[in-house]
Amino acid sequence: MKELFLNDFKLAIPELFLISISIFLLVYGVVYSTSNLKGYPILSNNISRLALITLCFSIILVMNHPIKEAVFFSLILDDFSSFLKVLILICSFTSILISLDYLKEEKLNSFEPIILILISTVSMLLMVSSYDFISMYLGIELQSLCFYVLAACKRDSEFSTEAGIKYFLLGAFSSGLLLFGCSLIYGFTGLIHFEELAKVFSGIEHTNAIKLGILFLAVGFLFKLTAVPFHMWAPDVYEGAPNSITAFFLITPKIAILGLFVRLFLYSFYDFLFSWQVILLISSIASMILACFAAMAQKKIKRLLVYSAIGHVGYMLLAFSCGNLEGIQALFIYLVIYFIMTINMFASILSLRHVKYIADLHQLVRTNPLLSITMGVNLFSIAGIPPLAGFCSKFYLFFAAISSSLYLGALIGVLTSVVSCFYYIRLIKIIYFESPKTWIHYSTIDKEKSLILAITSFFILFFFCYPSPLFIFTHKIALTFII
Amino acid sequence: MEFSLLSLILFFPCFTAVFLLFVPSNLVKILGLSASCFNFLLSLILWIRFDNSTAHFQFFESFSWLPSANIEFGIGVDGITIYFVVLTTFLVPACLLVGWTSIQHSVREYYVAFLILESLMLAVFVTLDLLLFYVFFESVLIPMFFIIGIWGSRERKIRAAFQFFLYTLLGSVLMLLAILLIYFQAGTTDYQILLTTNFSEKRQLLLWLAFFSSFAVKVPMIPVHIWLPEAHVEAPTAGSVILAGILLKLGTYGFLRFSIPMFPHATLFFTPLIYTMSVIAIIYASLTTLRQVDLKKIIAYSSVAHMNYVTLGIFSLNLQGIEGSILLMLSHGLVSSALFLCVGCLYERTHTRLIRYYGGCVQTMPIFSMLFLFFTLGNISLPGTSSFVGEFLILSGVFQTNPFAGCLAASGMIFGTAYSMWLYNRLAFTNAKYHLFTAYSDLNRREIALFLPFVFGVLWMGLFPEVFLEGMHVSVSHLIQHGNF
Repeated sequence: MKELFLNDFKLAIPELFLISISIFLLVYGVVYSTSNLKGYPILSNNISRLALITLCFSIILVMNHPIKEAVFFSLILDDFSSFLKVLILICSFTSILISLDYLKEEKLNSFEPIILILISTVSMLLMVSSYDFISMYLGIELQSLCFYVLAACKRDSEFSTEAGIKYFLLGAFSSGLLLFGCSLIYGFTGLIHFEELAKVFSGIEHTNAIKLGILFLAVGFLFKLTAVPFHMWAPDVYEGAPNSITAFFLITPKIAILGLFVRLFLYSFYDFLFSWQVILLISSIASMILACFAAMAQKKIKRLLVYSAIGHVGYMLLAFSCGNLEGIQALFIYLVIYFIMTINMFASILSLRHVKYIADLHQLVRTNPLLSITMGVNLFSIAGIPPLAGFCSKFYLFFAAISSSLYLGALIGVLTSVVSCFYYIRLIKIIYFESPKTWIHYSTIDKEKSLILAITSFFILFFFCYPSPLFIFTHKIALTFII
Repeated sequence: MEFSLLSLILFFPCFTAVFLLFVPSNLVKILGLSASCFNFLLSLILWIRFDNSTAHFQFFESFSWLPSANIEFGIGVDGITIYFVVLTTFLVPACLLVGWTSIQHSVREYYVAFLILESLMLAVFVTLDLLLFYVFFESVLIPMFFIIGIWGSRERKIRAAFQFFLYTLLGSVLMLLAILLIYFQAGTTDYQILLTTNFSEKRQLLLWLAFFSSFAVKVPMIPVHIWLPEAHVEAPTAGSVILAGILLKLGTYGFLRFSIPMFPHATLFFTPLIYTMSVIAIIYASLTTLRQVDLKKIIAYSSVAHMNYVTLGIFSLNLQGIEGSILLMLSHGLVSSALFLCVGCLYERTHTRLIRYYGGCVQTMPIFSMLFLFFTLGNISLPGTSSFVGEFLILSGVFQTNPFAGCLAASGMIFGTAYSMWLYNRLAFTNAKYHLFTAYSDLNRREIALFLPFVFGVLWMGLFPEVFLEGMHVSVSHLIQHGNF
């Protein structure tokens, strides 16, 4: 790895670009939206499109970065972080893209949420490349602060404000736990840098205080990841937030936080594997079980999706707790495919704007056949039925679990995946078979969402035909931790 | 790359299905039917070109699927699978033809669903990779779920579709774990390599049970057979034909192909279990059939009985027994499907399946009654029909290994005759029910054309079974030799 100089900002080009453009967009928005001369224009759509272009440029910048591997004080750049950065940028891009129409129709006339999405994206980029406790914590906090505001951005909705408050309280609490964990470890070792921690911890006798610090860190991360038993805020917050924001919430922070979590635990705390493996395994099994039973009782689509997301976090934690090469590979395969399925799901939900309850989907196949086929395919895929993409991710996950002898986890994983099939195919049943009580008229889908829906559905359908690129690529990413 | 015959047969229906999405709706029926008939012809050519004298997989081809994980999509047929390929391609045109007029809505989707289903079922039989076998084994659930749910007859269909889906899935996820365990040990899921792998005895038992949990649901063995009558009753006629004709064969095929050669120790260990379960199933299902009032349920339960004959034969582990069970699978694929087609014809006319509303068919529908009698006799394995050869070989195989089980199983033949003949009596003789008189009309040309191939198949298999048996001799004896039974 290359060491950089103090004045060498090449490492952070994408972040610098993104942050300066968001400041520029903020100024532009503030000036023009309050301009009497222009007649107080509504800039949400305008700024969204500019943000999309910015994100596109950032993706190009990250992919063509002049430096491939480097450590710059508290930041690190390697294959792993670049991969996650691209993924995060694509997530933000698609979440803004699918919400263009929503912003207009819901008359969310403020442009600030878009700026906040950009800033939180920057913070997540920093998170995945952070290499010590300070930058890690600062990254997480910047991201969380943006998210609290985003959750409450629909000011006239009670749900949204409540979601914002809940998110803030629980988020601040979990950050406190995280910080306490950091300070314990710092207090007992005097180190905050991940690499130094890894060196110090290799092969020594472990003191209980450090284990306690790791426990607090793990709990803080599990809070952020909405894993059971720290999930209680998630359904309310994600339900209350506006639809387009929920899509963003469900995917993007998971990528960043899991990236950080994996780097910290598999690199710095690898010698404590047997201490934290149990914590993750318990949390993962609890998430899988709770999610599959809780989702069955839901009546609202968004809550159902949130519980299903909790279940998916459980599967990802199962992969994580393997602690070997296959585990990391499975985790990232799962993450990519989960991202695509969730985007597809939310693009469908956003296309049916008036739908709130599951029962509103009655006979979608009559009113909107193409969309219902898309949803059907996607739901089967989320349920993990072969030969769709969701199956490929699950099978590799269970393989990873078996290869590190987590037989119980794998067994519970497959059993819960069958139980969770029940509520996914209940949705399909409602869409296809049941006769409606009231017919709902759906609006046509705009071009951006149809594009996203088409691309993701093709991916889900045909991923099975040629899965090797993703498998090879994630293998390369996972190797980052071995060398 | 040379495109071989087998991959053509495999992919052709799928491509046709995609093509059908874009043709005008008045051409869908003709194109779909002719494509499936063409595929049947191709599979006949495959059968003609098949070489009887070797146990190797023929028409072998492999596509790179996941080279980094050492998984290849290899396809090939041997003496066991070749018949299932032919049976599948034979039944799909019949399914499309039976829905010619009775399917009123979503016609295009109906054809697309069946053609995709055909590709998936063929893939299950010809794939030589364990993981991909699982993938296709499961993926037939999706089209089947829609076929039952959309074109099924009553409101209860939803429940049936759910039951079908969840039962099968619950059974087979354990198989997934077993496959992953095998993959973890052997580093590959290639069937031919796995045959040379030795698993420890303890692990064999575990793996065998995991596979069993999946195959037993599909067969269906007795405690997990509940989904079958439900799914059969609620499915549309063509759905029942596929269900009885092919999907039930998947479980027994799995036993034959994977459980027996891969885990010989566990197979010997669990043979008594299979014998007990099969014998119970034969007797129980036959007795249950006597008290059913729904035409389709009667035939569904008789399928349960027949499929358990097949498992009994497979686990007799000698040449006669296994060949008999393969033959019985094929014959059941013809006879039971034809019976479901018969019931479908009746249902189309009267829209009821309750047996008490029927009677005196022989006065109003003579051709139908004749055909129905023929297939009923086939179902009770009258000598001269295809089932007789199969059941005879199975029983002679079972008697060699376990005479007691053989005796009990043979009693199933008596019960079989009882329920079949009683059913036929109630349906065809007695007085005609006048309130349904107007609805009765004899079979039309399309339906007769539909039944003739089945009649031909049943007679051919019954009178000249050697044609079928000589193809499997080498493969089956190879299988037995492999396990050292």
